[in-house]
Amino acid sequence: MSELILETSTASMRRNFWRGVWRVMKRKPSRMAGVVILLGFTVMAVIGPLFYPENLPYDPNAKYAPISWEHWFGTDGQGKDVWAQLVIGSRYVLLSALVTGVITVVVGAGLGLFSGFKRGRWDTVLMRLTDMKLTIPGLPLLLVLSTVWSFGSAIEMGLVLGLLGWGGVARAVRSQTLSLRERGFIEAARGLGLSTTHIVGKELLPTMAPYIAMNMLVAVTGAVYAQVGLFFLGVLPYEADNWGVMLNLAVFGGGAMTTTAALPYLLAPLLAILLLTLGIVLVVDAMDEIFNPRLREE
Amino acid sequence: MITGTGIVKTFKQRGNVLDKREVRALRGVDFSIPKGGAASFIGESGCGKTTLGRIIAGLETHDEGEIVIDDVAMSSLKPKARQPYFRRIQMIHQDPYSALNPTRTIFQTLQAPLRLRARQTGRDGKWIDERASEVLSLVGLDPGSVLGRYPHQLSGGMRQRVVIARALTVDPEMLVADEAVSMIDVSLRLGILALLKDLRERLGVAVLFITHDVATARYIGDDGDLYVIYRGQVIEHGKVDTVISDPVHPYTQSLLSAIPVLHGLEQPGTQPVVPLSGLDESLSDGGCLFARRCPFHTERCTSELPALGRSEGVPQEHACFYPERRDVVARPMSGV
Amino acid sequence: MSKQAPGVRIDGLTVTYNNLPAVRNVSLELPPGTITGIVGESGSGKSTLALSLLNAVQPPGRIAAGSVEIDEIGNVVEFAAEQIRRVRGSQIGYVFQAAQNSLNPLKTVGKQLLDLGRSHGVEDLRGLVRDAKDLLGRMGLDGARVLDSHQHELSGGMRQRVGIMLALVLNAHLVVLDEPTTALDMITQSTILKIIREVHEERGLTTLVITHDIGVVAEVADRLAVMYGGRLVEQGPTREVLASPQHPYTRGLIRAIPRLTGDIDEAQALPGRPPTLATVPAEGCVFRERCPLRMDVCDTVDPAAEAYGTRIVACHAVKVKEHA
Repeated sequence: MSELILETSTASMRRNFWRGVWRVMKRKPSRMAGVVILLGFTVMAVIGPLFYPENLPYDPNAKYAPISWEHWFGTDGQGKDVWAQLVIGSRYVLLSALVTGVITVVVGAGLGLFSGFKRGRWDTVLMRLTDMKLTIPGLPLLLVLSTVWSFGSAIEMGLVLGLLGWGGVARAVRSQTLSLRERGFIEAARGLGLSTTHIVGKELLPTMAPYIAMNMLVAVTGAVYAQVGLFFLGVLPYEADNWGVMLNLAVFGGGAMTTTAALPYLLAPLLAILLLTLGIVLVVDAMDEIFNPRLREE
Repeated sequence: MITGTGIVKTFKQRGNVLDKREVRALRGVDFSIPKGGAASFIGESGCGKTTLGRIIAGLETHDEGEIVIDDVAMSSLKPKARQPYFRRIQMIHQDPYSALNPTRTIFQTLQAPLRLRARQTGRDGKWIDERASEVLSLVGLDPGSVLGRYPHQLSGGMRQRVVIARALTVDPEMLVADEAVSMIDVSLRLGILALLKDLRERLGVAVLFITHDVATARYIGDDGDLYVIYRGQVIEHGKVDTVISDPVHPYTQSLLSAIPVLHGLEQPGTQPVVPLSGLDESLSDGGCLFARRCPFHTERCTSELPALGRSEGVPQEHACFYPERRDVVARPMSGV
Repeated sequence: MSKQAPGVRIDGLTVTYNNLPAVRNVSLELPPGTITGIVGESGSGKSTLALSLLNAVQPPGRIAAGSVEIDEIGNVVEFAAEQIRRVRGSQIGYVFQAAQNSLNPLKTVGKQLLDLGRSHGVEDLRGLVRDAKDLLGRMGLDGARVLDSHQHELSGGMRQRVGIMLALVLNAHLVVLDEPTTALDMITQSTILKIIREVHEERGLTTLVITHDIGVVAEVADRLAVMYGGRLVEQGPTREVLASPQHPYTRGLIRAIPRLTGDIDEAQALPGRPPTLATVPAEGCVFRERCPLRMDVCDTVDPAAEAYGTRIVACHAVKVKEHA
């Protein structure tokens, strides 16, 4: 009888975990809203662009058209539909943000965990490296890089932003690891002779999961702002469907700050960015409860 | 059998680069714990008892002295080779709340060390499941209701039992219980103490009990040894009952005098000993470490360090020039 | 202003957290000039009860029913926030649980003392410092040095004494000490208990000590009240309660204390475990799960607290015995 319970325990635990996540999400409407927003963006980025032709039709007679059923967010200076550009542009933004998030977390958490757990020589070397990396000013470097590199693919963009952003996470994870390794259960694991892989992977990592997940989402938000900013500044080559370029064109080409005609063109990408950030912030709120069994099960 | 001779540990305090302050946590401690035996380290916080316990459990290194486990001197082995020896000495921490990983179920917590054990002895997964239930039963928990739970779903007392069960997964030679009941509800403390005693009797596991509460030391076995430690030095050592009922060192006497008396049930001792001042870390040059606080100190005490040894008419070892019996322990009132 | 030890009457007090009662229908009198000790395990509601004396139960906790009548102050349960703030510190002193860690680590003790004085509108700050030094001196510390120290420069026992000083320096005559000796050594504990007793007598206080350790109460308190699962199950003069406990929980608790002398096998742990806020039974006796004297009536009816001589006990079995 008890064997039966134990054999299925791993699978049933996983099921329990997801049931717990669902419970945590249901606890506050704001979290559900966050999930819906993020799911919406994901759908938009994954299948949205499929609905539009490679070259969007343009209508010279309908420049900066107002909001209508035909054009949800009006049109741009060439008469192209803004909503369509937004949808097509979302893929680049989200994909690169995701890549940044993954790299930040994998490199940052990996180095932080290793450094904090091993301490000693490894720690000193790795943290010096991190400090050096932290002193590199991100934006100027990006500006310089952009003169030689066009960041044509979203993955390249994410890669660069990720490699620039893991320093903070590494430091934070390291200090968490340092304090956790003094805790009784880590000491007990060492006393029992459990392997370092087990201690880091099964004992330390899950305890820090909310922390890491939160950092990942913050990194994603940062990446969205950073790349949109770069394109807005106009230092990267023109690409009509990019949110940042849209902002740039609306402000500098359409004069959205002075006339109302281009306002929808300006507001559409702005709203998209705000909504995306909001979705992330609302979901971050649940991270603590998701990864802490006590808060999850209550 | 685990013995230690002349264990010295010095902590360097960080701070001024030029004037490195050193704190002597242990000043040459000897101890010996027989197979399946019991021993208690007693003393105020900061006396070095916890450090000594951690050294014995292999969680801390020492500067001088030798630890011998089953006739093997640890100094003769490389750090890696020491591990299997120290693994058989398991620490039970004071705080059962931080001693268990909050994100892992009790089964997962027990499974990890059992899997290691199974690999070493060539057993299979079924053995792991059986053994997990077995160790929980050994500590008086119902495996069916505990295995699938998370630590936060258990009370402090149950958690401490799980911690003990986890220690049992490696078939330990000795358990080092550091203030193992001080964070547990009063009504449940004796249950944990009785469990430790029971494990001694049933499994032959030695128990080293570290506490500031002398009374609890009696409950893991009256055949055990009691070491009273003051500022890194053993100042009285003997059988538990002897030291508790007939202490001769003024420090031991002041420890016993400080235990609350249950007025109405008990009568306080007639000659309580109260130290002259609080714990004082400053060094009295060469004299007895307790001299400044001792109500009975003489000139000799401040200039000469008494060594741990025996004197006539006293069954236990002590480190005092003037051992004297005093009536310090509360007694049950007659007729109650 | 002549002040003397006030009496306190707690009547029918119920405190709930999210509608779960942490303290249920507790009535307790603190006679003026006495030390009362409340003993209970974790989750017994003892700290919540103490906080109600200051009307300081934190949300979601809320005083749902009952009154706390303090002489010369009034029923604090009905006080508004500002009104109760003025009373705290100046008339009711409170030494928090783990006072060892409740000092501000960034300020010296003296600065915190002045902050306390200013927030209570004390005009003679010099006099306040003088009083503080006197009090610290009384407790065996070098007042001037302690006031100049930061928290980390003081030992646990010293911090505890600083906590007591801060509770008394504004001349409060009702003092609540929550776990005054937890995490202290035996010798330090004994020193602190002695100080509590002496200061209590010298300054003419009414003192309430909250603790899980029956030994602490035995050392200092005149009267002893035992809490379990939010209920006050037994109260009476300390010596009498210790010598002949009536409630089965009190009896079990006293039996569960490791003693230095006597038969080892006489001491035994209580079976089961103390209830938490979530597991405490809604009806019937809160202790019945662990009780050796359990009867049918215990499952359904919460025993009322009834007086037997100097003792007040809430137990069906005791009632049956008394009437037999």
